[in-house]
Formats: sequence, structure tokens, C-alpha cells
Amino acid sequence: MTDTYDPSADIVDRIAGLTPGSATHATRHRRDKVAAATQRSYEALLDPALPDLSLRDRLLVALYACRLSKAPALAAHYAERLAAAGVDRASIEQIDQGSIDAQEPRLRAMLSFTRTLIERPIEGDRAALERLQAAGIPTPAVVALAQLIAFLSYQIRLVAGMAALQALNIREAA
Amino acid sequence: MSRLIEAEGFTNRVLGWDAWLDVVQLADASAEQITVLEESHPKAKESDYYLFLVHQPEILRQRSAAFNAIMYAPGGLSRAERELASTVVSRVNGCVYCASVHAQRFEQLAKRDDVIEQVFNDPATAGTSPREKAIVQASIDLTLTPGHVAPAQLQALRDVGLSDDEMLDLIHSIAIFAWANRLMLNLGEPTD
Repeated sequence: MTDTYDPSADIVDRIAGLTPGSATHATRHRRDKVAAATQRSYEALLDPALPDLSLRDRLLVALYACRLSKAPALAAHYAERLAAAGVDRASIEQIDQGSIDAQEPRLRAMLSFTRTLIERPIEGDRAALERLQAAGIPTPAVVALAQLIAFLSYQIRLVAGMAALQALNIREAA
Repeated sequence: MSRLIEAEGFTNRVLGWDAWLDVVQLADASAEQITVLEESHPKAKESDYYLFLVHQPEILRQRSAAFNAIMYAPGGLSRAERELASTVVSRVNGCVYCASVHAQRFEQLAKRDDVIEQVFNDPATAGTSPREKAIVQASIDLTLTPGHVAPAQLQALRDVGLSDDEMLDLIHSIAIFAWANRLMLNLGEPTD
């Protein structure tokens, strides 16, 4: 269990550009339980020890979700993590351009599921989960994958909302 | 005392929900899984949703911590307005189950259901006051176009009196339902 929370390593603050001492940072950290649980969710979903879904595949899913959602700052964060993990440039660039056809079938099934959840969540059905299982992904890993994509939908909106709040605060102070 | 509202496939009736894949059986659950279920929701041990998500207990534990802190913490945006935002997001995403649950919570907290009927019928025009209309519109915009959130959209909330703390709670309530709706819509289906 991960119960540590270090606000100086907070990913949402970093990507949204909230710095300690600013009004928007102070506002966000008045709901520190939410900030901590958000950071710990990010860490749990990208825990290298999670079985049956490689960290490489999960980071590619994250990059693809951010690309589809037009969230360039978060997409750049996941692209950096992929590069730091030694993932080949070609794979990162293909996903960053929204192309999934060149990936092997298991990862392609995960990315296709990502696209449905991000763009057309209402189109989810039982067959989509069965395709993941047929691609060799056991039930606990299906849960982890769905949680990851759903979390990314949350993280993307939280970052966008906080960046807009900060911009509003700066405009009002001017 | 509550009035049945049904429109456009949405309802404020109590619904069930069934998972499409195998859930964790309580008899087989680990001590960690039981603890996380108990922390997540009072009825989690009878719920397919939680029994499915608890396949990954640490991930569920952090999700529940975020969800409960966003929806139930005192102060800031009223709990009824958080539930209204959740209902709008669920309506826009097409999550009939979540819309039903959070419509009921709004009605319990606000002691009225007029705006719920409006949200079910047409979220784009819903809201019984300028403040409610601004909250509804922000919920639609951040749900559908997270890549195009401008300070001007938050200015509309400021113009109807929302403080920074209230805006944070609203952003959280909208964002957490981007998460919740995707699980409910893609891992199982509502039942009568």
C-alpha cells in the first residue's frame, strides 16, 4: 500500500503549472485528500510491479488517451516517461500520431479499447471485454486497464480545469 | 415522496448493475480486499461494481478515497450542486445508472427535482437559475471538450458568484464522473 504523499512531486500540479505559494496551488491543496488520492492513483496504476500489463503498454495507453483527448502537456509527460523507460522511438511516435495499426495484436486490442472509452464511452459492450480476454488479458488486468483509461479521463479534465483556474486568477490579479 | 422522472432513456428510479466478467467472490476475498470494500461504500460487499473493481484492491482504494473526498467533504460547493454536476456529466456521457443514482442524491439534498427533469430532457438548456445554468454548462463543456477549456468558461462561473474553492469542487465533481461513467458504461450494464 502506498500511503506516502509528497506534494512537491505532484504530477497534476507540475503539468498544470501550479507552484507552491500561488493562489491556485493553495486552493487545490485545501482539498489535500483529493490531491493525495489522485497522486496515489497515478502511482498505483503505473506501478511497475502490476502483473499482466507491462509498464510500457500502460504508458503507451496513457499517451494515446492524452493524444485523443487533445491534452498535449499530459501527452508530453507520458512520452517523456516512455523515453525514460527505454521504449523505442518509433512506437512512441506512432502512438503520438494516433496510429495503432503497426502494434502487435495484444497491445492493439488495449489501444482499441482505449479509443472507445475515451471517445465513445457509451459504446462499451461485453464483446469488447471478451476481445481483451481473447487477446490474453486476464480479468484483474482488464480491471487495471479500464481503471487506467478512466483515471486518465479524470486526470486530463483536472489538469485542464486547474490550468484554466490559474489563468483566471492571473487575469483577475492583473 | 419522490416523483418518477423518465425522459430520453434516463430515469430517477433505483437501478441495479451487473458486471460482464467474473467478480470476486466474498468467500475467496483476501483480507486486503475485504478492508478496501468496507472503506469504499457501505453496500460494497453486495455490489457487482465494487466486487469487480476489487480485483485490483489498491487501485480501488485510491479511487474510493478520491471519490468520497470529492463528493462528501464539508464546505466549498454545496453537496447538491456537486450531485447536479455529476448528474449532468452522466447524462452527457450516456450513463443511465450513474444519472439515476446522482439524480436521487440531488433530490434528497435539494428537496426538489425540477432541474433533474430538465437535465434528462436537454442538458444544454437545463438550470432553474443563472447559477445553475452556469454549473450545468461548465459540466457539459469540461466533459465534451477537455482540450478547449478557456478562462472565459470559468469567468461565467465567477459571474454567478462561484469562489475559487467552489470552482475547484465543481472541477473535481465533473472530472471524477469522467472516471466513474467510463467504468459503469464499459464493465457491465444496468438492470431493473
